[in-house]
Amino acid sequence: MSTSQAHYEPIVGRYLNLELLGRAHRLYVEEAGQGIPLLCLHTAGADTRQWRGLMNDPEVTRDYRVIAFDMPWHGKSSPPPGWQTEEYRLTMSDYSSMTLTVADALELDKPVVMGCSIGGRIALVFAIEQPERFGAIIGLQSGATVDPYYELTWLHHPTVHGGESSAAYVSGLMAPSSPDLERWETLWHYMQSGPGIFKGDLYFYRGADGDIRARLAEIDTSCCPLYLLTGEYDYSVSPQDTQSAAECIAGVKFWVMPKLGHFPMSENPALFLSYLKPVLAEIRENR
Amino acid sequence: MVLPLKTLKKRAAGDALLARFGSDLDCTLLVGDDDVDWLVEIADGVVERVTRGPHIMPRTDLRLRATSETWARFLEAEPPPGYHDLFALRRFRRIQIEGDIRLMSAYLFYIKRLFSLLRSPETES
Repeated sequence: MSTSQAHYEPIVGRYLNLELLGRAHRLYVEEAGQGIPLLCLHTAGADTRQWRGLMNDPEVTRDYRVIAFDMPWHGKSSPPPGWQTEEYRLTMSDYSSMTLTVADALELDKPVVMGCSIGGRIALVFAIEQPERFGAIIGLQSGATVDPYYELTWLHHPTVHGGESSAAYVSGLMAPSSPDLERWETLWHYMQSGPGIFKGDLYFYRGADGDIRARLAEIDTSCCPLYLLTGEYDYSVSPQDTQSAAECIAGVKFWVMPKLGHFPMSENPALFLSYLKPVLAEIRENR
Repeated sequence: MVLPLKTLKKRAAGDALLARFGSDLDCTLLVGDDDVDWLVEIADGVVERVTRGPHIMPRTDLRLRATSETWARFLEAEPPPGYHDLFALRRFRRIQIEGDIRLMSAYLFYIKRLFSLLRSPETES
């Protein structure tokens, strides 16, 4: 790329100072576009960069104000004061509370919320507990529980590089056909994750606290539309896992996304957008 | 053995990803299917020796065993979901991974890369 081709992306990032869970926080928030607020939640151990493809797509940002924030301890958001004496462990109630507080602080009016993986789980929790707060809910790689098929110890251990091991553990969750550039970008985010943060995010996700199977039938999609999309190559939340959840929810719309995996928006943004845009169009038409 | 392990040394030689993620790796892997076990000896990140079993009480750091049918699907140029990665095999209980899991975690990119190199259509020799 020559100097004359240098250009800024339309994404704008700022730091938001606010109180979360009774403590002061400095949170990194970025957004692009205008229109219907679309609040995007990144996966465990990652950050807002996963949504770069969405925020750089003019067709999306023409109608949607796409907003994402790095959760505390993630990306460019700081951990809270005193973090050095704590072990980071994300609970479901804290995750839900933080997200709603950020939405309120940004004065988002009935936002569409879209989350992936742990964000896809909390999207289901919002559908159960707070449907009136949202214009629509989109769960990517959403499951009501997850099979603990690997040991978490080595994601944060003095003799193993946590960033590299975390990235390697999740590397196979992407579709083999996803472009190398986007796959390795996605893995770089994991390599940069703070020590123990990926593991801490999985605390609720893999534990009894996060198992919401018994509550799925409470979801009322007439109160808030719910869309679930799952990449076929994801084996953490497989299409069968999302299908099992969807079978418990009347009125949910569920699609499997061929040739995508666990990080659809980041591993292959262009292909993901081809699946997402009809959903966004439907939400816009019904709003 | 469906895995073309006898060509592994050649396939791995000079691979940039192996060098990036495991240039100091020293270990012995045991790889097995329905019929036979192979030993893969790695020193300073280089595949030094690959030997076909049977082996008598081999000293190994990590053992990966799956059925021949599972390995065959893993090797497909476009492997189906659930067969495309060692951990995908693990998730659906299609592979046994035993041994020094700390070492495996520290060098997981290397180990995954080593197995993915077996997919390329390089001629056996």
